[in-house]
Amino acid sequence: MNNMKRSIRRIFWLLVLCFFLLLGYVGKLVLIDKEGISTNAYNTRLRYVDNTIRRGDIIDIDGEVLATSVLQDDGTYTRKYPRSRMAAHITGYSSVGKTGVEAAENFEMITLHNEFLQRVMGIAAGKELVGNSVVVTVDMDIQTIAGNLLGNAKGAVVVMEPSTGRILALQAYPDFDPNTVAANWDALKDDENSPLVNRATQGLYPPGSTFKLVTSLSIMENIQDWQTKTYECTGEATFENKVIHCYNNKAHGTVDLKQALTVSCNCYFSQMVTEIGPEKLREMMDRVGMETPSGFDLAYSQNRIGLEGDATDSELVETSIGQGETAVTPLYMAMLASAIANEGIMMQPYIIDHIQYGNGKAGKYTVPKKLTQICTTDEAAILQDMMVSVVENGTGRAASVNGVTVAGKTGTAENATGNDHSWFVGFAPAEDPKVAVAVVIENSNAYGSATPIAGKVIREALNQLENKE
Amino acid sequence: MLDLLIMLSRYLFIFYIGFFLWQGIVYIAYEQGGFLGSPYHAISIQRRLIILMHITAFLILAYNRDTRIYDWQTVLFGGAGCIFLLAAIHFLDRFYYEGCPLIWTGMLFLMDISLIMLQRLAPTLAYKQLMWMVVGLIGMLMLPAFFRLIPRFEIFEWAFISICFGLLLCTKIFGVERHGSTNWLSIAGFTFQPSELVKFLFIFYLASVFRKRIEWKEFIITGALSAGVVLLLVLQKDLGSALIFFMTYMVMLYIATANEFLFFLGMIGAGGAATLAYKIFSHVRVRVAAWQNPWADIDSGGYQIVNSLFAITTWGLLGSGLTKGMPKSIPVVESDFIFAAICEEFGALFGAGVICIFIMLLYRGVRVALDCERRYYSILAVGVITMLCFQAFVIIGGVIKLIPLTGVTLPFVSYGGTSVLVSLMMMGLLQWVCVYCEQHDADEENPSILEAEGGQNYE
Repeated sequence: MNNMKRSIRRIFWLLVLCFFLLLGYVGKLVLIDKEGISTNAYNTRLRYVDNTIRRGDIIDIDGEVLATSVLQDDGTYTRKYPRSRMAAHITGYSSVGKTGVEAAENFEMITLHNEFLQRVMGIAAGKELVGNSVVVTVDMDIQTIAGNLLGNAKGAVVVMEPSTGRILALQAYPDFDPNTVAANWDALKDDENSPLVNRATQGLYPPGSTFKLVTSLSIMENIQDWQTKTYECTGEATFENKVIHCYNNKAHGTVDLKQALTVSCNCYFSQMVTEIGPEKLREMMDRVGMETPSGFDLAYSQNRIGLEGDATDSELVETSIGQGETAVTPLYMAMLASAIANEGIMMQPYIIDHIQYGNGKAGKYTVPKKLTQICTTDEAAILQDMMVSVVENGTGRAASVNGVTVAGKTGTAENATGNDHSWFVGFAPAEDPKVAVAVVIENSNAYGSATPIAGKVIREALNQLENKE
Repeated sequence: MLDLLIMLSRYLFIFYIGFFLWQGIVYIAYEQGGFLGSPYHAISIQRRLIILMHITAFLILAYNRDTRIYDWQTVLFGGAGCIFLLAAIHFLDRFYYEGCPLIWTGMLFLMDISLIMLQRLAPTLAYKQLMWMVVGLIGMLMLPAFFRLIPRFEIFEWAFISICFGLLLCTKIFGVERHGSTNWLSIAGFTFQPSELVKFLFIFYLASVFRKRIEWKEFIITGALSAGVVLLLVLQKDLGSALIFFMTYMVMLYIATANEFLFFLGMIGAGGAATLAYKIFSHVRVRVAAWQNPWADIDSGGYQIVNSLFAITTWGLLGSGLTKGMPKSIPVVESDFIFAAICEEFGALFGAGVICIFIMLLYRGVRVALDCERRYYSILAVGVITMLCFQAFVIIGGVIKLIPLTGVTLPFVSYGGTSVLVSLMMMGLLQWVCVYCEQHDADEENPSILEAEGGQNYE
């Protein structure tokens, strides 16, 4: 009988343990995993609408209002966007559905801080119920400069702080006026230029020669004597049945890795990559986070990787110089440039800086988070040096800025349906990177039209940052 | 104004459940020799808290936001629920003289949550649920009389297991499929889940067999028959019930033999069987995949569990407030996923409180088994309480993604006629054991006829 009582006690403690596991897990869900789970786009609760609450504002890092709610005569609220198109792809809209920050932080903007007090004051003094405001990391001065430089060229500009992943500017054109989305909905939705698509985060472009940064990393890791190894460029080379030309069939002569990157020699990279093989290159593409979800706050596309381990030589050489099936977002290229600038550490990009409550207090600051390590510090330093050479002596001269060492890489992506896309990714100052940029111009007529834009964006962004310090 | 009240009510509900649990501790402390307050007082406070929670919740539920008037139907139903709770408190005390009052209050608290949540989610189901509760209560009240009429029900062990198999085979042959499991039986337009009834009989059968000294022969026979029951349930795709039956068997076997080796052997065997089931049955693989990574398949396989996680995490510790959440976005929220709905609208703290009530029930049930000096009743009590509590663990664990989801009901809370009925009867049985043992242990000097006949065999 005593044996039995001992067994009963043991079973009791076993079940109590089970229940404590439940308690612990519920606690973990609500206290630790809450943010990760509840912000998922599939959560219908995030699209919850409460018309009795004045939706919170969207504010830039310097306090400029990008979106606000205005009380109408009939007692309902309407949304106003003072900066209209200039910040359209950041704020998004909140009328015919929601996009941008309006969608990402919807729940926060209809959450009442000090709800009890607000509700009592609402009943007692008729004060309006005000949701929390969202402060974004974007600096509207840089955003405006980027927007003006982009002008009416289709494309995107991303400016990012390499050490944190903070987005300083995020421009895309064509854009739209968020104030009139509901009125122009049919036209906007059917517009073949798709102005509602945020090209900076959702546009997928072949990376062109900017991909050589990744190929270079692969060469450094897989070819033992890469530092002394040279290649004789005749302006044209054949691999399998694929003929690779350098730009304008220019023969670059004897090149090593640094020179090849500086002059963007297609033949050198094609030759090297056939020695490395598709598996190793693919491995490097995974390592640099091309398939890693960035977890960015706004809607973004996942990069498309068009290279498998069993790829043919022609697929391989195409990929190595950024042509072929592989396609990336401008946001990702800015992350890649940032990672090289940041000793190989790729930070998670973010655009929500913090939440500002109605009583002036602030909270919920985003903490910069490391996404992945793409290469060693030494490799990053070598790449930085080569990228400086690109801007000083090579294809990126148009991006140079007086008094500042700019590092970068140009790219031209062949486009089957029209003119080539022009790319520039880079960062500055090279010795202590403060900004990283990625610029893409669609169907550019002029060769390398992204490069001068990037140079000006870098110059102005650095000026702004200096002025504000 | 209503929004303000709902907001405040969130704190009130947390207070209700917190204070309720505290009074439980006061009662237990007194029993253990400590003194935190009068135990009689504690129980009467608990009862009042149940009624208060009921009234608070129905005041919120009955108010119609659009017309700004009280919905008389909801008010009437709330009143009926209130009368039911008061009647249950009154009669249970009379019919089970000296039963454990904490078990009653804990059970009624859970049943009240059930009525409130079902009224919130689907009023018509709440009406049906109340009807089943009334039926269950009446059955429960008649239980002591029934056992008095048939005092030696342990000798019917073969009848119990035969009916078990009969019911399960009937379901296998004539069963109707619902929510992916063929575990429903429909007779004259009236559907019920035989596996729930089988629970009751299964415990009786095992307790009847294990009351005697177990030899290898009995062990093999019960093992084979229990494995048969579990296998039939697996074939009906009722994995949750299969798991619960298996655990109940293991627990009762362990208690009867006090043999750890057998217990661990059984667990290893179950692990092997689970792996085998994973390889053979595609629906097991689907469940496991949905548990491992529901995010990969949000649109179909992982939909339920993902929505459940959204419901639990979105509103935080205090919940959205009654009527303010969106629990209906979770499929079958009124039965299997009711815990997620509770967490959503009452808050995760309240959900934790519900788990604590189950811990309290478990503690009291085990107390009954430990206090009982007679082997048969002790085994019966442990069987009943472990089955109920393990069932609660399986479904709550499934809903919060701690373990793979298997569709069983949360005892007393989920919607389900048979489930409520059987859970109530099982509680009645537990309390009857409690009452019976207290009365009979008092005159242990004169062993009853049962014992004299050698109905028991201590090891």
